[in-house]
Amino acid sequence: MSHAHAEGNAIESLERTTLEGKNKILGFWVFLGAEVVIFGTLFAAHIGLRNEVNFSVSGADIFSLPIVAIMTALLLTSSMTSVMAIQAMHRHDTKGIAVWLAITVLLALGFLCLEIYEFYHYVHEYGFNIQESPFSTTFYVLVGCHGVHVAVGIIWISLLIGQLFKKGLTVVTAPKIYVASLYWHFIDVVWVFIFTVVYLMGKVG
Amino acid sequence: MQHVGQAPSGDHIKRRKGHEGPRNHLITFAISIILTILAFAAVSVPGLSKGFVYSLLVLMAILQVLVQLGVWMHLKDRGHFWAILAMLFGGLVVLYAVVSVAYWIWFI
Amino acid sequence: MAHAHAHAHTKRYSGFMDWITTVDHKKIGILYLVAGGFFFLVAGLEAILIRLQLAYPMNGFLDAQSFNELVTMHGTTMLFLAALPILFGFFNYIIPLQIGARDVAFPFLNSLGFWTFFFGGVLLNLGFFTGNVPDSGWTAYPPLSTEFSPGQGMDFYSIGLQLAGIGTLVGGINFIVTIVNMRAPGMTMMRMPLFTWTAFITSILIVFAFSAFAVGLLMMTFDRLFGGNFFDPSTGGNVVLWQHIFWLFGHPEVYILILPAFGIISEIIPTFSRKRLFGYTSMVFATALIGFLGFMVWAHHMFTVGMGAVANTLFAIATMLIAVPTGIKIFNWIFTMWKGQITFNTANLFAVGFIPSFTIGGVTGVMLAVAAADYQYQDTYFVVAHFHYVIVGGTVHGIFAAFFYWFPKMFGKKLNEVLGKLTFWLFLIGFNLTFFIQHWLGLIGMPRRVYTYLDGQTGWNEMNYISTVGAIAMGVATIILLINVIITVRKPKDAPDDVWEDGRTLEWAVSSPPPEYNFKQTPLVRGLDGWWLEKRAGKTAMTPAEPVGPIHMPNGSILPLIMSIGLFIAGLGIMYHQTLVAIGGFGILVVCMILRSLIDDPGYHIEPEQLEGKGVKA
Repeated sequence: MSHAHAEGNAIESLERTTLEGKNKILGFWVFLGAEVVIFGTLFAAHIGLRNEVNFSVSGADIFSLPIVAIMTALLLTSSMTSVMAIQAMHRHDTKGIAVWLAITVLLALGFLCLEIYEFYHYVHEYGFNIQESPFSTTFYVLVGCHGVHVAVGIIWISLLIGQLFKKGLTVVTAPKIYVASLYWHFIDVVWVFIFTVVYLMGKVG
Repeated sequence: MQHVGQAPSGDHIKRRKGHEGPRNHLITFAISIILTILAFAAVSVPGLSKGFVYSLLVLMAILQVLVQLGVWMHLKDRGHFWAILAMLFGGLVVLYAVVSVAYWIWFI
Repeated sequence: MAHAHAHAHTKRYSGFMDWITTVDHKKIGILYLVAGGFFFLVAGLEAILIRLQLAYPMNGFLDAQSFNELVTMHGTTMLFLAALPILFGFFNYIIPLQIGARDVAFPFLNSLGFWTFFFGGVLLNLGFFTGNVPDSGWTAYPPLSTEFSPGQGMDFYSIGLQLAGIGTLVGGINFIVTIVNMRAPGMTMMRMPLFTWTAFITSILIVFAFSAFAVGLLMMTFDRLFGGNFFDPSTGGNVVLWQHIFWLFGHPEVYILILPAFGIISEIIPTFSRKRLFGYTSMVFATALIGFLGFMVWAHHMFTVGMGAVANTLFAIATMLIAVPTGIKIFNWIFTMWKGQITFNTANLFAVGFIPSFTIGGVTGVMLAVAAADYQYQDTYFVVAHFHYVIVGGTVHGIFAAFFYWFPKMFGKKLNEVLGKLTFWLFLIGFNLTFFIQHWLGLIGMPRRVYTYLDGQTGWNEMNYISTVGAIAMGVATIILLINVIITVRKPKDAPDDVWEDGRTLEWAVSSPPPEYNFKQTPLVRGLDGWWLEKRAGKTAMTPAEPVGPIHMPNGSILPLIMSIGLFIAGLGIMYHQTLVAIGGFGILVVCMILRSLIDDPGYHIEPEQLEGKGVKA
């Protein structure tokens, strides 16, 4: 879309210039509404069952807040870097988008590796696996569901970086990047609730 | 399939006026960090009552989420009527689920 | 979008390949109708078998296990694989036409939604072939559905419905975006036909309710297959948790079933009364209110589980509140017919028959809402009578009405009226025979889900027998409908655009069936009942909102079918603990998603020359 570069007051939001783009963005917000209900239901189950430890370990016994703090910092920063990617998109800076998205992916990989290590640690150090108690089941299903969403996001954004190089920033790729960034922020929003409700409240008891 | 009569893409003109680049986003980042640190700190300080800590944690989580939804996800900008509705409705359903489970666990 | 490469001018696929790769909302609508219709017959057969077993006391036609399986599958199939897909079929076909659009917002996802529903339905029914049929009721309460159903049966339920649910969710998102973003110029939200409005609210309910159910099914899958403890009381889990999650979904689900029927009735009655719908604005608000309140009443299915008087009262009051907007709708339909010039063809018979039938179901609903009284009704045939009146008297009547109303639009010829009226009367009589008597059966104490009953209980034998006769009558009525379809298929396409001459909405402004691209030029809508307005102003066609130009059409794709097969395989892998199979299935899904994202398919164009005289092959 070369005419988008013509004037200084260029179309900033490429992602909304086509009907397909507008549809994708609205559709994605509706999907996020569904995701709110999905995670919310998992949270409700967790709140209901978190005290049922079946004579085994509780959150206060095993949660490692330092690891969680580092994971939070990684994810929060990755959310910020995805914002920077969108800023670059509004400046039509294709290379900038790719760089910021790549950093986002790296931070996310760091988050995921730490989480996998954390789970491994709980299983091997405390025998805390999914069959242990209702608490352990809701913990792994809720936090694991979030982790799966992170993994999907990593694959998705990586593919988008590839597409950016192959096709450039167009009215077709712009909505995809915008929507992926919305997804990424949402993942961070869910994490805010996870570290608050699961880990911090779990530590308090 | 261009649609005659669709809302014109005048959003970019409106946004140009008040758009200061990444400043608002960086402020949001800072607020999020501060709120996160406060939350972790609240849990580490001994001697606070459980109810107080819980309320503090929930408050800070909600604040952080509001600021991230509003600024980073652009809910404060125009053209997000349906998006806000989707979030509100989803939040409402979750509120029912969480409140009824909490009520059921703690009062019945 | 580089114009460097040549745009195709013809569709890529034709014939059978066209049908399995189609992304056209009209074809997908027909696919939904056919698949949903098939499952409707399966579930209807299951119902007749149930009634045959219950016709006599101590009957040996079915053993207890088979009976439980049939009861479970009848409910599950009717609700998830028949009613909702048939309604989706109508949504798909009619909504883009009614809003003046050429397709839905996400045609590819539309196809994906159909195929995942289809394979989910297949997975759910696969148990019939392996001898492990789900048997814990359509509500699947644990611990019966977890600890006490160790075979594969309930796995088909939890995973089959999970797969089918993906399709429903995707469809819901699709319709919301279509209705919000793709209305023709001049069609404000308050100028949309009521069928579109109800579809819109229904889609919102679907998005939020099916998500909760998906989580519940996930939890059940974990408990059944991976040693989870969500619902296991022996480790501290809670069975009532399932009930809350299930009904948080389950109650909006029944509004998902009835709101489209409301929309259908609101289209048919004005058309055949030659009078516009009375109280359009209040109808819209009533629909929205019913949808909203529908999320606040779920625990009225749990009055007897021990939530306490306060909770019971709150939910009882909220439930009764819903009767108010519903009542508004009933009165508005009656006022629409008042002093109208009414034509009683089959479609209108079903629509008008809906009104008292659904109302009876509605008032027994208010009876059930009285929490204290519900302690007597709970788990008896009174409840069965209530929900069959609202679902069969409501949704099924609406579906039959819609079928006769829109069949000529879809296939170009009207169904036979004599056979149609026979279907209507036989069905009405049979339905009332079966279910009206069940109110008494419940009140004298017959419990639900019992595979037989003792002889000598006053009234039980006679009432059960009559109930079964009614079921047979409904079966015969359905067969007559099938015969009607078969003989109509052979007739030539002779229906005009405005089949019923008094069409008010945009779908009657295009040919029957419509061309592939729906509208040669996007219409300009000047008010509510836009087509009716143009006719009143003396026009014979809608005023166009754009000049004639090349029409961009999407290409079909085989990917949705393959993705659904991949998910089907993954589901089987999870069920049978075959990790490699599961990974393989998900791998197929991921590869298809990547292909879809990386390969840009620009579709093809229909040029103006091909559009002259509607010469384009649909």
